[in-house]
Amino acid sequence: MDVTQYLEIFLDETKEHLQSLSDQFMILEQEPDNMDTINEIFRSAHTLKGMAGTMGYKRLQALTHDMENVFSEVRNNTIKVDSAMVDLLFQVLDALEEYTENIQNTTEEGTNDNEHLIKALNDYLANGGSGAPAPAAPVAEEAPAAAPAAAQAEDPAKEKWRDIKLGDTENAVLGEAVKQGKKCFGVSVYVQESCILKAARAFLVFKALEDIGEIIVSVPSAQDIEDERFEFDFSMIIITEADAETVKKAVLDVSEIEAAYVGEVEVKVPEAKEEVQVAQVEETVKADNGAQNAVAKQEKKPAGKPIVNRTVRVDIEKLDSLMNLVSELIIAKNSLVSTSSQEGMLTDTTFNEQIEYLESVTTNLHESVMKVRMVPIESVVQKFPKMIRDLSKKLDKKMTLYMSGEETELDRTVVDEIGDPLMHLLRNSADHGLESSQVRKERGKPEMGSIFLDAYQEGNNVIIEVRDDGNGIDVEAVKAKAIARGAITAEQAENMSDKDIIGLLFLPSFSTAKQVTDVSGRGVGLDVVKSKIESLSGEVDVRTKLGEGSTFIIRLPLTLAIIQALMVEVGGEKYAISLGSIQTLEDIDPSEIEHVQAKEVINLRGTVIPLIRLNEVLDIESTKSPDENLLVIIVKKGDKLAGLVVDELMGQQEIVIKSLGKYINKSKIISGATILGDGEIALILDTNALL
Amino acid sequence: MNEIREQYETTQFIVVKYGDEQFGVDIKYVDNIVRMQRITRVPKVQTYIKGVINLRGEVIPVLSLRLKMGLEDDTITKATRIIIIKLESGECIGVLVDEVKEVVTLENGAIEKVAYDSKDPRANFIFGVGKEKDGLISLLDISGTFAEKEA
Repeated sequence: MDVTQYLEIFLDETKEHLQSLSDQFMILEQEPDNMDTINEIFRSAHTLKGMAGTMGYKRLQALTHDMENVFSEVRNNTIKVDSAMVDLLFQVLDALEEYTENIQNTTEEGTNDNEHLIKALNDYLANGGSGAPAPAAPVAEEAPAAAPAAAQAEDPAKEKWRDIKLGDTENAVLGEAVKQGKKCFGVSVYVQESCILKAARAFLVFKALEDIGEIIVSVPSAQDIEDERFEFDFSMIIITEADAETVKKAVLDVSEIEAAYVGEVEVKVPEAKEEVQVAQVEETVKADNGAQNAVAKQEKKPAGKPIVNRTVRVDIEKLDSLMNLVSELIIAKNSLVSTSSQEGMLTDTTFNEQIEYLESVTTNLHESVMKVRMVPIESVVQKFPKMIRDLSKKLDKKMTLYMSGEETELDRTVVDEIGDPLMHLLRNSADHGLESSQVRKERGKPEMGSIFLDAYQEGNNVIIEVRDDGNGIDVEAVKAKAIARGAITAEQAENMSDKDIIGLLFLPSFSTAKQVTDVSGRGVGLDVVKSKIESLSGEVDVRTKLGEGSTFIIRLPLTLAIIQALMVEVGGEKYAISLGSIQTLEDIDPSEIEHVQAKEVINLRGTVIPLIRLNEVLDIESTKSPDENLLVIIVKKGDKLAGLVVDELMGQQEIVIKSLGKYINKSKIISGATILGDGEIALILDTNALL
Repeated sequence: MNEIREQYETTQFIVVKYGDEQFGVDIKYVDNIVRMQRITRVPKVQTYIKGVINLRGEVIPVLSLRLKMGLEDDTITKATRIIIIKLESGECIGVLVDEVKEVVTLENGAIEKVAYDSKDPRANFIFGVGKEKDGLISLLDISGTFAEKEA
């Protein structure tokens, strides 16, 4: 059967499970005895194995299978988790990720067998499990489930039902049945490996058998089979009046069944042996119960904790088209509002009321659609703890990542893009920011370096800060480097503020790391970060103190599609300026303008603010005469302020941002366009590009 | 056989005029033809970009082929139209034309390919010349003319 149609879902879910594994491994490293974590890992590994098997990824399946085996032992307390094991697990995880990546790129898992990992895992099994009663020891290939393989199968390979341990109740039942002249058969059923709905097939087999007899016991348990918690085979003991051939035929009548092995069970009732068996059985039952309980617990968990939200996966394109429709609606609403406010138009109060009603509905609708597009940044940042852990080993520096605000939400498109820049910044902090343990000790800092990733919302922006308590940026070193590179001259350097110098770091191919490591330091980092963030209409800021650490602050707009804007007129043309960047509006007398370095500035309540005449920037004649008072919009970008001179103010409006398309080589100061209520187009000014 | 069939396969072109010269635009690229409307100027862009228009809620750039081909600037008259062209990338652009004349159907045999001439910039805009009863039609090479963007 063709499984490619499931590939997407498979990849999605595999990634989720790998992420969960990674998270749980991190916890496991801290608390090796955390039973919840161990169970969670077992469950993820098991599901992964099942999915990989269904999709036919043998190597992926084999590796997860062995990992699962190890955890099955850990769960039974026969193996202890130690740091070497966690390391191994992370290696396994990397290998699994590699498989997944290969599958994503080529739909093939690749040819790396990762034998050393499998061997290492099996070593754990062999060493750890030897002392214990070794349930499910190296059965490696098949059904690890709850079936203890203590019985030395006389008839190896296929007739697995012989491995089924019978409790005394079952024995009693069987004994009774034999007395009544019924027969007891062991049945092992093999489902075709290409079968997708294994559980359904198994169910049909059960049903067929129940028609002719009674199922006493099955391995795995009926519940597990129903939940598809089995490989490609399952076994059971049945009591029936029919003969072996009929039983076999009944099973094989179900489609997609590869083979069935039926044999008569010898019912043992001898007293002497029973004690031994009971003892053994008890042990098994315990283990079994343990497993059952664990399963039951896991199953209850999602119900109890609302961690897993009920969700529907929606194609982002559908959301985009919904968003576009909402945009159209808002434009239509704006046009109604503008019509109604025109003089001579209807002054009917009901008309106005209806318009207000429409306005509130569209606003709410817009908000809801926007919310649908919002996703927590968690999906991006959750991979970072592992990355920092890896970096810590690689760089041989001790460091911990503290994260907060993972629940902060951003537009989907932004979240998808933000991962790389954040990763760059974190690597940068780990590699360049933090000093080596030795240096830290000498400086009287705690040996363990700290990196913080904090996200929070601030007004219409989301702020993400990457902070470290490392060395900070050495401004003099940057300066020297910049001069050596010819980026600036020595004279220029003299006149530059520390802030400007640090800004040089964001120039392409600028790295201050003395050595190039494979972590970062090739000089392709910060400029990429900056351009990426700016393409998302955000900005990056750095604060640093030599010896104490540095903070990179990323500021991103909450939404990209619809904003509140101030509409202005310059030279008869209409422009929109995002309200988010506007500080105040000022009315300035021309006599208040002063000149500093041949540039116009105003002194506003003690702050000197440079003036930017928008008509000059936009190549158009101002409609105002020079002696008239100036309308100045004070905008800010980080700590910088500037006054934009405009001709007219037209008021505040909710605008829908439209792209100008790729065809226009637009200047940076135009970030897009919007359609006004009367159908006219107004361009949106990006004040950040002006400052 | 195939060659002969190809000869008689036909393509429809919308014939537009710049001054006295006739140009043909393959109809499969034409999304729409609209009357002249208010064009919003966009500062600091390519000189041949006239600005943007609002076409049913979409913002579409409008360019002047006259300026792009090095002719004199468009004079807006009653006959001026904006042809909305849908590029292969899916993006729409508007092109100012002096006048839209008619739709013609040309057999492939009636199209004479022109050789690429690096000396004549205008030759790069056309892929062939169509012969028709009213004279010659320069056939615009849509991907060559509009796809690549220049500074």
